[in-house]
Parts: sequence; C-alpha cells; structure tokens
Amino acid sequence: MTENDGLLLLALLLLPLGSALLLMLVPSRERSAIIALTAASSLAMFAVSVYVFLSYDYGSSEQFQGVRAWTWMENVGILGEKGIQLKVGIDGIAAAMVLLTGIITMAGTWVSWKITHRTKDFFILLYILAAGVFGTFVMLDLFFWFLLYETAVLPMYLLIAVWGSTRKEYGAMKLMMMLVAASILIFAGIFAIYTEAGLGTFDLEALFSADYPVSFQKLFFPVIAIGCGTLGGLFPLHSWSPDGHAAAPTAVSMLHAGVLMKLGAFGIIRLGFQVLPEGAEFWAPGLLTLGIVAALYGAVSALRQTDLKLMTGFSSVSHMGYVFVGLGTFNAIGITGSVLQMFAHGVMTALFFLLIGAMYDQSHDREIPHFSGMAKQMPVWAAFFVIAGLASLGLPGLSGFVAELHIFIGAFRAYPLVGGLAVLTAAITATYLLRMFAQSFFGEMHPAWSGMREMTWPERAGSAVLAGSILWLGLWPSPWIDRIAATVEGLQGVAL
Amino acid sequence: MGMEQAWLLPAIPVALFVVVALFGRFLPREGDWLVIAGMAATVVLGLLVILDFQGYFEGSAFAPAGENHYAFEWAAIADVLAIDFSTYVDSITVVMIAVVTVVALMVMVYSVGYMHGEARYGWYFALLSFFTAAMLLLVVSGNLLQLYLAWEAVGLASYLLIGFYWERQSAAEAAKKAFITTRVGDVGLLIGIILLWRASGTFEIQEIIALAQSGGFDETYLTVAMLFLFAGAAGKSAQFPLHVWLPDAMEGPTPVSALIHAATMVVAGVYLVARMLPVFDTVLVARDVVLYVGLLTALMAATMGLVASDIKRVLAYSTVSQLGFMFVALGAGSVTAAMFHLFTHAFFKSLLFLGSGSVIHATGRQHVEQLGGLWSKMPVTGWTFLVGGLALAGLAPLAGFWSKDEILYAALSEGGAFVYVTLAATAALTALYTTRLVLLTFFGAPRDSSAHAHAHESPRIMTLPLLVLATLSVVAGVVAFDGVGELLGFAGGIGYLVFTEKAHAFEFHPDIAGAATAASLLAVAAGLVYWRGAAERAARAQAWAPELHRMLVERYYMDHLYQAAVDRIVLGLAGIVAWVDDHIVNRTGVDGGAQGIGYAGLRLKFLQTGRIPNYALAMALGIVTLALVAFGAS
Repeated sequence: MTENDGLLLLALLLLPLGSALLLMLVPSRERSAIIALTAASSLAMFAVSVYVFLSYDYGSSEQFQGVRAWTWMENVGILGEKGIQLKVGIDGIAAAMVLLTGIITMAGTWVSWKITHRTKDFFILLYILAAGVFGTFVMLDLFFWFLLYETAVLPMYLLIAVWGSTRKEYGAMKLMMMLVAASILIFAGIFAIYTEAGLGTFDLEALFSADYPVSFQKLFFPVIAIGCGTLGGLFPLHSWSPDGHAAAPTAVSMLHAGVLMKLGAFGIIRLGFQVLPEGAEFWAPGLLTLGIVAALYGAVSALRQTDLKLMTGFSSVSHMGYVFVGLGTFNAIGITGSVLQMFAHGVMTALFFLLIGAMYDQSHDREIPHFSGMAKQMPVWAAFFVIAGLASLGLPGLSGFVAELHIFIGAFRAYPLVGGLAVLTAAITATYLLRMFAQSFFGEMHPAWSGMREMTWPERAGSAVLAGSILWLGLWPSPWIDRIAATVEGLQGVAL
Repeated sequence: MGMEQAWLLPAIPVALFVVVALFGRFLPREGDWLVIAGMAATVVLGLLVILDFQGYFEGSAFAPAGENHYAFEWAAIADVLAIDFSTYVDSITVVMIAVVTVVALMVMVYSVGYMHGEARYGWYFALLSFFTAAMLLLVVSGNLLQLYLAWEAVGLASYLLIGFYWERQSAAEAAKKAFITTRVGDVGLLIGIILLWRASGTFEIQEIIALAQSGGFDETYLTVAMLFLFAGAAGKSAQFPLHVWLPDAMEGPTPVSALIHAATMVVAGVYLVARMLPVFDTVLVARDVVLYVGLLTALMAATMGLVASDIKRVLAYSTVSQLGFMFVALGAGSVTAAMFHLFTHAFFKSLLFLGSGSVIHATGRQHVEQLGGLWSKMPVTGWTFLVGGLALAGLAPLAGFWSKDEILYAALSEGGAFVYVTLAATAALTALYTTRLVLLTFFGAPRDSSAHAHAHESPRIMTLPLLVLATLSVVAGVVAFDGVGELLGFAGGIGYLVFTEKAHAFEFHPDIAGAATAASLLAVAAGLVYWRGAAERAARAQAWAPELHRMLVERYYMDHLYQAAVDRIVLGLAGIVAWVDDHIVNRTGVDGGAQGIGYAGLRLKFLQTGRIPNYALAMALGIVTLALVAFGAS
C-alpha cells in the first residue's frame, strides 16, 4: 500500500457520509433516484474496500499502511504537538474488517430497496452508521476513533425504533442504554490512557509505543474490555443483542450483527492488546473464560428459541464467544482465529438475517414451529439458508471452519480443556440448526405458506455475494490469514 | 499420468458436481451422462494411479520412496502452523481407489434406471458426483486436516442424499439423526487430530506415524488422542454406541444406500484406523478398545438383523455387523484382513443393496411380510441376490469366505478363543439372517398378490451393474492368492500389498475356516428347514420369546434411550439456561437495573419539593457537614 492509498481510506469514510448528505438533497418521492444513488455508492464502497484489502502488503515491515494525517488541533489547552489529527491507516486486522464492512454494506443496501416507509431517511441513517463503522476501522487517532465509534452506535436507536418490528421500542431502548453505558467506560479508559501517556496527542501510533506502568495496564484493560466487549456481545452483557436483533429491520440486523459487534472485539484489540499489552496478557484468561461460557451458553440457549431471529441472535452470542476465546488464548494462532471468526461470523450472520428478512417480509411470522416444507416453496432461499447454516456449524470448506479451527488449535495450545469445550460447542450448534432445518425447511409444506414467493433479485444478488465470501474464505483462506497473521505476530507479548 | 495426478481423482467429479448442480437443468437428461462419463474417466485415472503405484514393487519390497506424496501449502502462520494440501498413495489408498471408483460407477449406471422419472433427477446425480469426489479426496489425503475436510464433506453428501426425499418427514429426521450422530464422533476426531498436532507439530500422517514409532509421544497422551480419533471412526462407521443412525439412513434412495451406506462412506472409519494402525500398534490399550467395540457391534447388529422386516434395514444391520468384523481385524492388528474384507464386502454388499432396490423398484414394497415368490418373476435379480447373500454368509468359494477366514484367523491368533468363538457365532448368525432374507423375499407363496402380480424384472441398465457386481462378489476373493497377485503384476496376494510390518504369503487355515463354515452351513440348513419361505414361521418365532423379539425389534431400546436423553437432559438443560438468561440476566440484571433507576427516580423526585425552607435546610446541613469535614481534616 502506498501513502496515496491513504486517500482511499479517507474515501471509505467520506463515501457513505457524502452519500448521506446527497440523499438529504434528493426529494423523498424520487425513489428511483434514491435507489440509483445508493446502488452507485454501495458499489463504490465495495470496490474501494476490496482494493484496500488486496493492496495491504503483508510482506512489508510497515505494520500500518496507507497512513495519512491532517492535523485538526494542536498546542491548545491540554493538547500538545499533533494533538488531534484526522489520521488514517490500517493494519492487517483492519484490512479484513474493512472488506467485511464493504461486503455487508453493499448487500444490506440492496435488500433495503424494498423498504417503502421513509426510504430516504432510512438510507441516510444507514450510511451514517456505515461511515462510523468504516471510520473506526481506518482511524489512527483516538479522538476520532471514539467519535466514529459512537457515530456507528447512535443511528441504531432510530433505525430500530422507526423501522423495526417485534417489541421495537423495548429493543431499541435496551440496546442504546447498554451500549451508551459501556461507552462511558471506554471514554474513561481513553482519557486515562491519554493522561498516563502524557504525550499531549491522541495519535494512536504514538500511544501504542508509549510506556504505561503495569499496574495501570492491569487496572484499565478491564475497563476497555468491558466497554468494548459489551458491543461485542461479551457474556453476561450480551442481553441487548438477541432482543436488538429481533427488533431491528433486516439491513440493520445485518450491519449490526455483521460488523457492529465486530467493532467491539476490534476495540479490544486496538485499545486493549495494542495499547495495554501487559494488561491484556494479565486478563487474557478472564477473557477466555467469559468467551467459552458465552460460546456454550449461547449455543444451549439457542436450542430452546422458537423465534428464528432470537435463535440467530443467541447463535451470534455463541459465535462471538469464540472470538473472545481466541483473544484469550493470547497466542498468534488463536488471535488470528479470532479475527478470522469476526469476518466469518460477519458474512454468515448477515446472510442469516438477510434470509430471515426475506421470509418475514412476506410471512410476518418467524416462529420456527409454524413452518414446514419451505424448501418446496422457496428452494433458492432454502439453499442459501443451508449454506449459511453449514458455515455456522463449522463445516470444513466454508468460512466458519477456517476460523474455528484456528481458535481450537490456539485454545488447545493454551488450555486443552477449553479447546475441547469449544469443539463440543460446534456439535451443539449443529443440533439446533439441523433441528430447525428438519422442522421448517423439510417435510410436507404447510399450506398456509403457499402464497410465499422466492426472493427478489436484489436479495438473491446480496445472498450470492455473502455466500461467495463464505466459500472463498472457506476454500482459500490464505489472503486473510496472511494479512491478519502479519499483524498478530507483531502484537507485543503474544506467544507464537 | 500416475500418482502425481492423484489430485485429479477428486477434482474431476467435483468439477462435474458444480456444472451439473448449477446448469444441469439446461442439459439434456439433466446431465446424468456427464456425471457418468466423468466417473468413467475417474475409473480409468484410478487404474493409471494403481499401475503407476505397482511400478514401485520390486520383488516383495515396498518402496514408494517420496514419489507418492505431493503437497502444496494451503495456509500458514509463521513457523507455528502449516496446513498443506497433499496427496499420498500407498497400498491402502490403492485398495480404496479401486473400491470407490468401481462401485460408484456401477451405482451411477444403475441409478439411471432406478431414479428414472424422479423429481430432482439432475440434483441427485450432482450429489453422487460430489460424494464420490469427497470420498476420493478422503482416501488420497496425506494429512489429517485434509482428511477431516473430506470426512465432513462425505458426511454432508450423506446428509443431503439421506434427505433426498425431504418432503417425507421421516427422511428429514433420518438425515438429521445421521448428521448429528456422526457429528458427535467428529468432535472426537477433531480433538484427536488437534491433540496429535499439539504433541507433534504436524498434521502429516506419515510424520505422525514415524514419530509414534520412534516413541516421540507420551504413551498415555497418545492413548487418549487415539481413542478420540477412534470416536470419529466409530461414528462414521456406525459402531456401538454411535451405530443408531445407519438403519434410519435407509430413508435415502436405495442406490445411495449401496454406495454410501454399504461400500464407501461407512468404511471411512475402517480406513482411518487402518491408515493409523501403526500408531495404534504403539498403544495397545486403544487397539483393544477397537477390537472389543468391533466385536460387540458385530454381534449386536447381527441379532437385530435377525428380526428386521424391511429388506434394506436387514442389510443395514448386516453392514454395521460386517464393519464390526473389520474393526475386530484391526484391533487384532491385521490391516491385511481388514482391508481385504473391506474390499470384498464392498462388492457383495452393494450388490445386495442394488438387488433390494431392484425388488423395491419392481414391487413398490420393501417389507418381507409383503414379498415372497419373486424368484421366477425376477430371475436376474434373484440369482445375483443369492450370490451376494452366499458371499455375505461366507460360503466357499465366494469372496466373503476368504476375507472372513482372514479375520477369524487374526481374531484367534491375537484376540484369543473368546474373540474367535464370538465372532464365529456372529458369522453363523450372519448366515442365518441372510438365509431368512433370501427365502422370505424370493421364495414361498407371494404374500401381497397385487405387488407380486405387477412385479417384473428390472431394465437392463439396472441388471447390468448387478451382473458386474455379482461377478466381482464371486471372484474378488482370489486377490488373496499369491498366484493371482503375481499375475496382476504385484509381488503376491493381498498379504504382499497391504501389511503393516512385513509382507506375508497367503495362508489358508482349513481348521479355522472349516469350523466357521460348518457353523455357517448349519445355520443356513437350519434356516432352510425352519422358514422354507413361509411367513407364518416368522410369526411363530416371535411367539416363542416375545420379549426377546421385541427387544431386538426395538434395537435394544438404544434409540429410545438417546431420544429420551436428548429430550430430557439436553433440552432440559437448555430450558434451564434459557430461563436463567431470560429471568436472571435479562429481567433481573438488565431490566431490573433499569427499573431500579426508574424507581429511585420516582422516590427521589419528592426531594424536589419547590419549597424554599426545605432547600434552605438542606443547604444549611451541607454547609455544616462541609465545615465539620474541613475542621476534621485540619
């Protein structure tokens, strides 16, 4: 990646933001203009994110690439040299996350063209959210990092409360209260770090190399980990997630479970592992314990859910548990597996929510026992669902397995018992998914659903992109592993 | 073309899977010819690989030397984790390639007739192609992770094919049961693989074997790892206690049962243990577990086969039982006997399944109570079925006789008298239930006249594979003879091809074979005398010991036990966890917290009275407190 590619990183932030601004100028009744604009914008974001991912040079000794900075404020008040800058740059982990965001934003845009209620406003909020997510992944200045992190969270409230379903006010309120409360912890952590470093700058690269006393790191790592972990669905602070997912409209669930939850885990790596490595090493077993509990707990809870979205929500808790297990192993294989899992879970769960949305829009029902033989009525839909399900239960050749394998191996290196439990979780996952398949997809078709139509073309295209990503990562994971591992190996204190 | 191109064996069928699955509906005949042509090419390629391999035999020396192993890197993390894709061809691989390609081709040809006019015809052929690709990938894998990938892929193919008629709820349930049961074993397999990697740093099978033989593992650790590995093998090969899925798997189309659930996929577990046998040889406790699990399964399944009324289920129990025989051979340390029986069993068992398919195709019935009297109506099916049955019963000179003899010899010499007697008794039971099956299906008065009236011989495209497989069931046993092996260009019989420590010449054991054959013949005679094709005799057997009969019909109640365990324990636990999440974590923790704040606000708002004296009082109290604190501090 050259320095000029830094402009493309900035473009990832400006494209959705600019699109949101342009949308404000389009009259609401011009639906075709809205669709054309969002189509172009989503394609552009996707193209840029693919380019950024591919051009990240994992062979280079430069960990952060495409670094560009524009100073905003310096030498005022508490700020010293390079106080606050708009500074972009990515490492291998961020490169993978940028690609994930590009894919899901595009697919999410396509399926949202169905929305008829206040379409324009929906897209404005959706793109502000996307700008926040992209921005957090590419930002190398802690001030803007946190600003964009919050930008990604806040539009959720309106998106769920206005366009949602099933107990939407409750879901939106709960999600917002829990995430904002967690943000306060992050906010406190950020200022503690800034003060302790005493550099007068929010530049993350400077903060990475600053010295922090071990006691400080041990004290503040949990603050960051709990703050960011809440957004990542860390047990026992996960309870906003199933209800939030159930209430949110399709594209929001996709972005939410697909990328927003990853912001949480990403925050733990950025602020926890990279800024406070000794604190991270000290607390890693705790992270691992909460992770494995979440993995088992989410999977077992999912066994008893009858609402398809709630089942997927608990499944997300379980799969995000794997992410924390991988981080907690504190070795290169496990952490690489974590980041792979963030990507793998992202595309898989986005596909799940896309498909559930495609069905719910017609049926207005998501109770698993109410359905049977849906494969007859909607074969393409069922086929995509089975692909997502198989990825979720860790079938080799699909994305989930590659990620889980690394996490399992990392866990077995550190704590064999945890590794064994993690493998067992995959069997439970198979149980709840296959029960659902046998119940809802197969068997004789319930006549009540004979009016259901196959997915629309934008939905099929979105599903194809997501399923393609699942297959690609599953069959040829090297592009991801090379980039992620290059960064993970450079993390301080991490065992190989 | 040779071993270097072994990767093409899975590559051709998987490419055709993609083509036919996506574009099959645009092709004439939905692309079945394409799949079959690809399979024929794969058979030829398999032959070339075998010939190339054979070139490495000089005398009795077995020198594959580096020329049989090809690898490229799939994924790697620095120096700590390297995952390669590799192909490895040795004598075990060669046997498997022969079995898989030949049986797959026969089944595909047969399916053209059997599946004619079915919905999703093209998808069926695509799946067969996918399965064959995965199975071939499994047998040419040089490392355990790649083997695991293929292992799960054949499981997926099996899931989709068992559930091929998914409109039937029973098929959907059977597919689910098969996947989840084998998945339980696969948890063990993956744990075993990772444990082996953890201690050795490699997934390559030959490196692990070399390390084990040089004593590079801690013995207890290795025993545990190999037992986990065996759990995977037991799941896939339907061994006790994970055997419950295979009988239900008969919900799939019958040719699928012949290919996947008789000849190929279910022997993957046998293959895995055979492949890893040098490691099992270093931990004899684990090898004994293999032996006794195999023995128990063989006996148990044979007794269940004695009472089942569905032809396919009888054959399924028989498969489980015969797989048990193979595990006994492995447990006794004889890879030769196990692979030999795998080889012969594949032919006669797929023949029996295809024969039963022919009967079902002709009559639309598959319960022996509704069949009978088909011998004259379906001569080709009848004769070939009889050949397969005799081979299964282990009567000379058919294929099953020779391989069973090898296993019994291994059982006696390594396992001792108890193992031998149990296994010989099981062999006699095998002869008994086979006699029953043949008699009730083809002889006696027809019990369902409308089915009998409509019965007709199957079309040539179905009988041709039957004839080919029947021929193989007769002659496959001769590969044991050294003369035949030499004629084929090998150093000798199968003992010179497949062995662990040293090649050995073919030995016939008249005493052992004689005793077992006598027992089997007696069983056949007893069956002939007893049933004589009359259904009422079968009913009388039930009346003789109704409770025993019921226990066998209910498969020792194990399915009920598992169902209860899942319903009560697993789902019960899940219910508790879900309740805790809803009530404790969510309503108490989250909502409770929110309500607590709301309630506090409700109460505290009364402090906001709006009356100046109240505020003045509070202010005064505050000042006094601050003053006290200030004085106290100074």
